Amino acid sequence: MIYLDYSATTPVSKEVLDSYIKVTRDYIGNPNSLHSLGMKSNELMKSATKQISEVLDIKTEEIVYTSGATEANNLAIIGYCLKNTRLGKNIVVSKLEHPSIYGICDYLKTQGFTVSYVENTKEGLIDFEDLSKKVTAETILVSIVGVNSELGIRQPLKTLRQIIKKQNENTVLHSDLTQAIGKVNVNLHDVDLASISGHKIYGPKGIGMLYKSEKIQIQPIIHGTEELRSGTPCLPLIIAFSKALRLAITNETKNESVVKLLNDKLTATIAKYPKIMINKTNYSIPHIFNLSLMNIKPETFIHALEKRDIYVGSNTACAKGEISSTIMAIYGDEKRANTSLRISLSHLTSFDDLNKFLYSFDIVYNKLLELGWENE
Amino acid sequence: MNKLIIIKYGELTTKKGNIKLFIKTLKKNIEVALKDFEYKIEYDNGRMFIFGEELEKMESRLEKVFGIHEIVIGYEFDSIDIEDLKENLKDLIQNEKITAFKVRTKRSYKEYPLTSMEVSRILGGVVLKTIPESIVDVHDPKTFVDVEIRMNKSYIYLDGKSGLHGYPLGVQGKGLLMLSGGIDSPVAGYLAMKRGVRIEGIYFESPPHTSEAAKEKVKTLTQILSRYSGYIKLHVINFTEIQEAIYKNIPKEYLITIMRRMMYRITERIAHKNNAKIIVNGESIGQVASQTLTSMSVINAVTNMPVIRPVACLDKLEIIALAKKIETYETSILPFEDCCTIFVPEHPVINPDLSLCEEYEKLVDFETLLKDAIKNEEVVTIREDDKKFEDLL
Repeated sequence: MIYLDYSATTPVSKEVLDSYIKVTRDYIGNPNSLHSLGMKSNELMKSATKQISEVLDIKTEEIVYTSGATEANNLAIIGYCLKNTRLGKNIVVSKLEHPSIYGICDYLKTQGFTVSYVENTKEGLIDFEDLSKKVTAETILVSIVGVNSELGIRQPLKTLRQIIKKQNENTVLHSDLTQAIGKVNVNLHDVDLASISGHKIYGPKGIGMLYKSEKIQIQPIIHGTEELRSGTPCLPLIIAFSKALRLAITNETKNESVVKLLNDKLTATIAKYPKIMINKTNYSIPHIFNLSLMNIKPETFIHALEKRDIYVGSNTACAKGEISSTIMAIYGDEKRANTSLRISLSHLTSFDDLNKFLYSFDIVYNKLLELGWENE
Repeated sequence: MNKLIIIKYGELTTKKGNIKLFIKTLKKNIEVALKDFEYKIEYDNGRMFIFGEELEKMESRLEKVFGIHEIVIGYEFDSIDIEDLKENLKDLIQNEKITAFKVRTKRSYKEYPLTSMEVSRILGGVVLKTIPESIVDVHDPKTFVDVEIRMNKSYIYLDGKSGLHGYPLGVQGKGLLMLSGGIDSPVAGYLAMKRGVRIEGIYFESPPHTSEAAKEKVKTLTQILSRYSGYIKLHVINFTEIQEAIYKNIPKEYLITIMRRMMYRITERIAHKNNAKIIVNGESIGQVASQTLTSMSVINAVTNMPVIRPVACLDKLEIIALAKKIETYETSILPFEDCCTIFVPEHPVINPDLSLCEEYEKLVDFETLLKDAIKNEEVVTIREDDKKFEDLL
């Protein structure tokens, strides 16, 4: 099997899975129980949280465990907006967000909020000038994805926050860092709220976290106890997440250099196909390689590769079959947006795998091209 | 030019007779604090010099070592020629922000052709010339520019960080610290360590009346204290049987007095066994019924060992401020029952009578219970860098 869809999800690494299994088996106590079993679980959980706070250079009180990035996005944006309506009722988002952000915006519109969409440049960077215009006295929150999931465009969060604060110092910045953590160096102090997911960093599915700066207030979206996120803590997932995060961040530089070499090879080879458009800007990170087939339907292409035990993604796993909003936002070309493939790389990808993929890619591409499917 | 850490000794420089032992102990403690680093250490009776790569990181470790007056990151030069000194100083301060300053020169090489005053004056001129906004202020300088001239080396450095002062840990031998889990006892331990006393801890647990969580809390406090010593040995005494025997047989108002007397007895014996010369605890005069002067004397009557109470004369707020400084406060205020908070009578005696205590204690065979408790002690060594759950995380 050749797996090249790491931005959709990653396999759980062995040492992370080992921890998950051990904790599931040996730490049966509820961390909130009074007895020693609960105590032991609680100690373990505190140690995991402490480790996360150290790895991310934040405080333990700034960590809220969630079921994943989508829930973290909900808690961050809805939780902040509902708590701070007295400050205003406008939010600003980019056109490069994960679909869950737009879903949240739709919900907030039903609650009387207005949503502004900030423009981006041709390179995919947020347009600084437009951002200055869109952030008004009414704007309470801006949400901008740290690394875009389709083209891997990385935003200068620190600068964006400075621009935002200059317009309105009460406005907070949320960033979905799902595709950024473990791939590029991020500083959580550049944002006020950030969403992180476990399963994109070789951790299990079903766990993520919200970073919430201690300086701001949000309200829960799941109600139960006085906690921001009620419910019995899922200890095995939290431990596995903490370990995955530590491994991802400590090995980030090393892994990134491997991926960069793979990306160079991929780019050089795909560039030789005259009809294929490569969707890449100067700000794309090497882990994500996006191309538009133009004359071939991507679903067909994906299934044809699958027959050869090769797995790649379409625009994003979370918006199957829809036109790519990111490619539209950057290139404004519908055909290009309709025929994109996403190949996402990992330090686990070998050059041998990449060569085998390129070999199959060539065969499948030429064969499907001959059929002459015309994109409507 | 070599970048290095210069350590100025604390009070120990006044202890002429013991200075060798003091410096050697300090060096050993520094080696423990810097065990994760590669470095070279040189010293004489006035300074210690540490050469290595990660000076800033080492510096932050040294901030937790007792017996250091000041920690400075400075520069060592092979020349002592005044012209070279001028050049070197100019290079060093070029990007510094200096306003009101004073140059201090120390010359341990007494044959140097210029006096300290002359060197200070010449180098002060260099500062003035290099940094236009600087002015000399010998009375209230914001920055000290320090220059030291030795036989064939010179050192230049600007302001350093204050060390923890006190004596090097261990030069005064060992003390046994009664740790309850409250705010006062960790502070008492810290202050004793500051005077060079190496600490072991003793904790009384009373399961099921006290919880595992309370014990963990004490271990956490011990670990925080171990930042100053690398490690601390903690003696955990199961006190349940003694406490229950007291509860069943002793008049309520004397519960606490007798309980404390039992604790002191055990502490003294454990101290003897472990070569500790003193008992240290967090008692503060008048804070609770067992800490009135009468109570203290009746409780203290069970031992001849010196009992040092470093916080005896501090107000609660002063103790809290210290607890916050040494970062034990947040842990100390976690709400768990400890031996001293369970079975508390509503009206404990505040002026206990010694002969009554002795009469009451005859009601139970405490000697056997004490021996059992000591026999069953649990000893754990808690290290500063103990990581819990390392295999899982």
